[in-house]
Amino acid sequence: MAFFIQQTLVFMIPLMIVALAGTFSERSGVINLALEGIMIFGAFIGVLFIKIISDAGLGQDHAQLLLIIGILAAMIGGGIFSLLLAVSAINLKADQTIGGTALNLLAPALVMFLIIIITGSNTINTPASLDFMLYRGDFGIAEGKELNLFEQIFMNKVYLSNWYALGLYVILSVILYFTKFGLRLRSCGEHPQAADSVGINVNKMRYIGVTISGTLAGLGGFLFALTAAGGASTGDVAGMGFLALAVMIFGNWNPLTIAGAAFVFGACKCIASGYQYIDINGDGIYALANLGISKYVYMILPYAITLIILAFTSKNSHAPKAEGQPFDHGQR
Amino acid sequence: MTFIFLFLILAVIIGGFSVYAILTTKKAKANGYETWLMKFYAKDSVKTIISSVTAILLGLLVGCLFLIMFVGSEMSGRSISGFDLIDALQLIFFGGFNTGRNEFGSLIYGWNGVSLGNMLFRATPLILTGLSVGVAYKTGLFNIGAPGQYLMGTAAALIVSLTIPSDVIPPFIIWIIAFLSAIIAGALWASIVGLFKAFLNVNEVITCIMTNWIAAILVTSLFDKTTGPFNFLLDPSGDKNYKFVYKTAHNGVETIKLGLDKLFPGSQINAGIIVAILIAILMFIIINKTTFGYSLKSCGSNKHAAQYAGINSKLYITLSMAIAGGLAAAGAALYYLSGNTEFTWSTYQSLPAIGFNGIPVALLASCNPIGIIFSASFMAYLDISGLQIRNMTMYNEYISSIVSALIVYFSAFALIFKQILSGKIKLFRKKKEDISNAVDTRFKEEDYNVDKKEETDSKEVETTEEGGTE
Amino acid sequence: MDNYIIEMLNITKVFPGIIANDNITIQLKKGEIHALLGENGAGKSTLMSVLFGMYKPEAGIIKKNGEVVEINDPNDATALGIGMVHQHFKLVEVFTVLDNIILGAETTNKLGFLKKKEAREKVERLSKEYNLQVDLDAKVQDISVGMQQRVEILKMLYRDNEVLIFDEPTAVLTPQEIEELLLIMKNMAKSGKSILFITHKLNEIKAVSDRCSVLRKGKYIGTVNTSDTTIEELSEMMVGRKVDFNVFKKPSEPKEEILRVENISLKSKIKKGNVVNNVSFNVRRGEIVCVAGIEGNGQTDLVYGITGLEKITSGNIFLKGKNITHASIKERNTNGFSHIPEDRHKYGLILDFTLENNMVLQRYEEPMFQNHGFIKPKAVREYSDKLIEEYDVRSGQGSVTIVRSMSGGNQQKAIIAREMDKDHDLLIAVQPTRGLDVGAIETIHKRIVKERDEGKAVLLISLELDEVMSLSDRILVMYEGEIVGEFDPKTTTVQELGLYMAGAKRMEGGSK
Repeated sequence: MAFFIQQTLVFMIPLMIVALAGTFSERSGVINLALEGIMIFGAFIGVLFIKIISDAGLGQDHAQLLLIIGILAAMIGGGIFSLLLAVSAINLKADQTIGGTALNLLAPALVMFLIIIITGSNTINTPASLDFMLYRGDFGIAEGKELNLFEQIFMNKVYLSNWYALGLYVILSVILYFTKFGLRLRSCGEHPQAADSVGINVNKMRYIGVTISGTLAGLGGFLFALTAAGGASTGDVAGMGFLALAVMIFGNWNPLTIAGAAFVFGACKCIASGYQYIDINGDGIYALANLGISKYVYMILPYAITLIILAFTSKNSHAPKAEGQPFDHGQR
Repeated sequence: MTFIFLFLILAVIIGGFSVYAILTTKKAKANGYETWLMKFYAKDSVKTIISSVTAILLGLLVGCLFLIMFVGSEMSGRSISGFDLIDALQLIFFGGFNTGRNEFGSLIYGWNGVSLGNMLFRATPLILTGLSVGVAYKTGLFNIGAPGQYLMGTAAALIVSLTIPSDVIPPFIIWIIAFLSAIIAGALWASIVGLFKAFLNVNEVITCIMTNWIAAILVTSLFDKTTGPFNFLLDPSGDKNYKFVYKTAHNGVETIKLGLDKLFPGSQINAGIIVAILIAILMFIIINKTTFGYSLKSCGSNKHAAQYAGINSKLYITLSMAIAGGLAAAGAALYYLSGNTEFTWSTYQSLPAIGFNGIPVALLASCNPIGIIFSASFMAYLDISGLQIRNMTMYNEYISSIVSALIVYFSAFALIFKQILSGKIKLFRKKKEDISNAVDTRFKEEDYNVDKKEETDSKEVETTEEGGTE
Repeated sequence: MDNYIIEMLNITKVFPGIIANDNITIQLKKGEIHALLGENGAGKSTLMSVLFGMYKPEAGIIKKNGEVVEINDPNDATALGIGMVHQHFKLVEVFTVLDNIILGAETTNKLGFLKKKEAREKVERLSKEYNLQVDLDAKVQDISVGMQQRVEILKMLYRDNEVLIFDEPTAVLTPQEIEELLLIMKNMAKSGKSILFITHKLNEIKAVSDRCSVLRKGKYIGTVNTSDTTIEELSEMMVGRKVDFNVFKKPSEPKEEILRVENISLKSKIKKGNVVNNVSFNVRRGEIVCVAGIEGNGQTDLVYGITGLEKITSGNIFLKGKNITHASIKERNTNGFSHIPEDRHKYGLILDFTLENNMVLQRYEEPMFQNHGFIKPKAVREYSDKLIEEYDVRSGQGSVTIVRSMSGGNQQKAIIAREMDKDHDLLIAVQPTRGLDVGAIETIHKRIVKERDEGKAVLLISLELDEVMSLSDRILVMYEGEIVGEFDPKTTTVQELGLYMAGAKRMEGGSK
């Protein structure tokens, strides 16, 4: 059970944070199709910074500090990269779908170009000597003690980065709904002319929305590189950015439902990748594996379930009304 | 040296032409008549081409800057030298014509049949995936599901071409059956997306993403080493872990060459490129000359007006996705039925890039089917240039991917370019003159203001009605 | 010297290709209601947008209390105490009323969290003071247009504005609601607010304003004291010539029934229940039947139901005696429907197509325009040229003009040309004159009467009571999805219609 939840969280958290990234951008009125690209770029920058610092001989003993530096670098990298989208969508009023697609093409190309120049091979890794994972001992839990469920999930074999991301997710969700900034940002995605008429600088809010989106997607990319890819950046995040986009639509641009959608998807994904090892009630029988269903059925499951749920919920889907429309101050 | 010489000639031609253009236009304007050049320039299509070319040039320019930025950086022990830079700068433009180095170590150019032939061979599936994205776009759908459709087409083409015994049925007939079954497989697969969009109003981007992955897993399962129903099609002589499906030549099925291999000796080229070009022309005719195309475009430009006019938009959305899927799958069929390409699919972690590359191809050509032939060839040419850069310099082939991404980025500004070209946006505004011009025209457009008001008005209505659009 | 609170002196505002405001001067006294009169497109809204900081003028200055001020954006305007109720409400539909009122003028704690309680108290106090009833927790998309307007007024009051601009505020209201609004405006003026009131309705100006400035085609015509002038004088100032608002027409001679609607209902997409509820009526050859009502009472949906754009949930529709309830839009089009849609940009035209392609929008599949699926470009061109000529549609490049670049009036003319030239028995015209200037309105009214005289059946949906009264032969009033009364324009009054439109009265049994 604990294993199942932990594995689900590994998929769920990056998905959630990147879907929230999309939400911030789209709630401000800019379609962010570039999540995948920004993730790739963020993952690369995060890994690169950790590598540079530890190659310089610093921080070998402070893995957790390095982790924070990596996170910050990934976020800043993602934020800067997303500015390319902001410029094209906001200043140049270009088609946002095309702009986003361009970034999705640019990120892997750029990252691979740089990785090969830097390492001469196709990947860049965090040094193998660094272990960012925390074990029970790090939390002061004595060896041999029986772990309860909470300790199993949160205090053994965990990456702190996931908990940082979760914290950030909660904080940003609260900001989106209960602050002046959040109210204004959402108004720009729904009715920019209304926002403009009460003196809100729509384009500025959209810049902020896209940049927050970029930092979060960068973070999501780094989480992916750290956990799922074992500390490597390869110019690929396995379509996670697109999946996050799906989770965002699926979650109706709302942080709470996004978390739910991400959980459903993460759980399915977790079953697909580890159904042989899942012991549901702890009796030593691997029920799913014994069913004799092809592993491919499990693999298809998360995608198929998303499709089916979408088919039933699409009628209630409410995208921000003004997303994708450039705002022109001069227009009434 | 040839390279510099070529460049000089080009510069002289462009410079001379610009001087001619400016002088004649000035004279014509002063005397109130139009030159052929002005008439030519006034055409919308010409402006589209000019803005696409501008995007290409800007992309190449920024790509060159990238190359320059990395001079002197170390790469696995050796640093990138100024010579690498000079070579790479040449190759990014003329890579397809590079024929090696001369005895002094400098690059020489000429007819490189292998490179150019391979370029056309690579362009073949790109034209079709580009058409796939382009046709869907005309109907207002963003088809990022081409990778999945491409995979379904691949599977269908391979299974059909390898299982029908060639001693019973002539290989040429098998080729046609395989080609058609690929198209049907792709069309059926893509119509899932179309049906979801038309009847349930599910955003096509998200269904495309989901069906892509489902297609990838399905195809993987078909050719699974142990459990796949078609694992007997795997070539046993291959690598233990990455088993390839037999080349279709194994069953004698190969695309005919039509003598193209004589023109491009040593390359993979075959008649597939001609088929692709014919399909592009066919699509051009369908979209621009027929009632069917008119209906498709109506649904894409304004689905409400299409509905008002009695056009069954649900039908056309589904049909346009099906056509898009068929086109992407046809691209796969042309690629794999060539007889000399291998297919392996043992992972579900990524999707075939050719499918995604249809997007830049279509966007660069503004989704015009004829334009797509050229943009696909250009993208393939960039690829070849990238390979030459990797082979001949210390840089790597990804520079060409960077350039093509940049071109897409800049082509997003096509609208702005077009407005600048037609003088709607002035780069340097002269205030006073504007006012006096305005006085002259104002009584011609008395209800300009009404129009403006109405436009935003209806925009508001439009947006309240729209569900999720991506 | 007079005590002016706001002066706009010699304002010139230029849009590419047109001068929207040409050297205009308006002076607003403290505590007065100052009307700004002009036709659609005269530049009133532009001028007010300049005052509100949404446009920057090319020339001219703005003074407040005699001092020159600079207004660069709505924030500056708000800081100067200037507020505006826009013609198209600037409300975020998915937000609550309270959120809409505080948006842009939020009070927060140190961390930036909203202090909604204080805001709520203030709004409640204001709504009592000025008798503006709203439900603060309802979402804007769920409340009536009248209440939305009250929200807009509360937005200004919440910001303590002392100069209030009303841009065409009465367009969406019933006669009774209009009276109420004018009363509120008078109260506000009494309590010291200064009001700029934009309108093209002359009787409202007479009823409420102290002074009136007139604009025509971007130019300033003059300012008069309202009490010293007549409605006729004002209308001549506005249009530049004597205007006869009465449409000349013969009495109607209705013949056989063309359209019969029996008990049709449509489900609402937003709310629970029906948006059109059990509606029955008929339209005969040679008569103009008009459906009147306030915006949002189901008229739009009724037309969608009849034309097939939306599926009806119950009831039957007959065309020339044939049941067409389940016929496709195409079948209805080819069997006698012509439809001038309410929203010409959404339904009427494909803006990115050329004019000629729009002219054959429903007809390109007819043998006249196609051959084995291939469009006959020459036939399309000839037909389009003919319509352009006949209906005087003006555009830059004739048949090949992209429709988006045409003016609103000419776009409307193109639709009218297409629909009237098409073979039809029934013309459904929904707000055919919305947003057009007087000249265009006159032409369109004449065309509609001509249709009737040629023996077509005409179903007209209009929000403008003047239009309803002057054009129709029979009036049906719609309220909350139901037909609540049927009237003869010769024997009824605007006031009476208003009572039915507001739901205050209804005839038993509705229509026949």
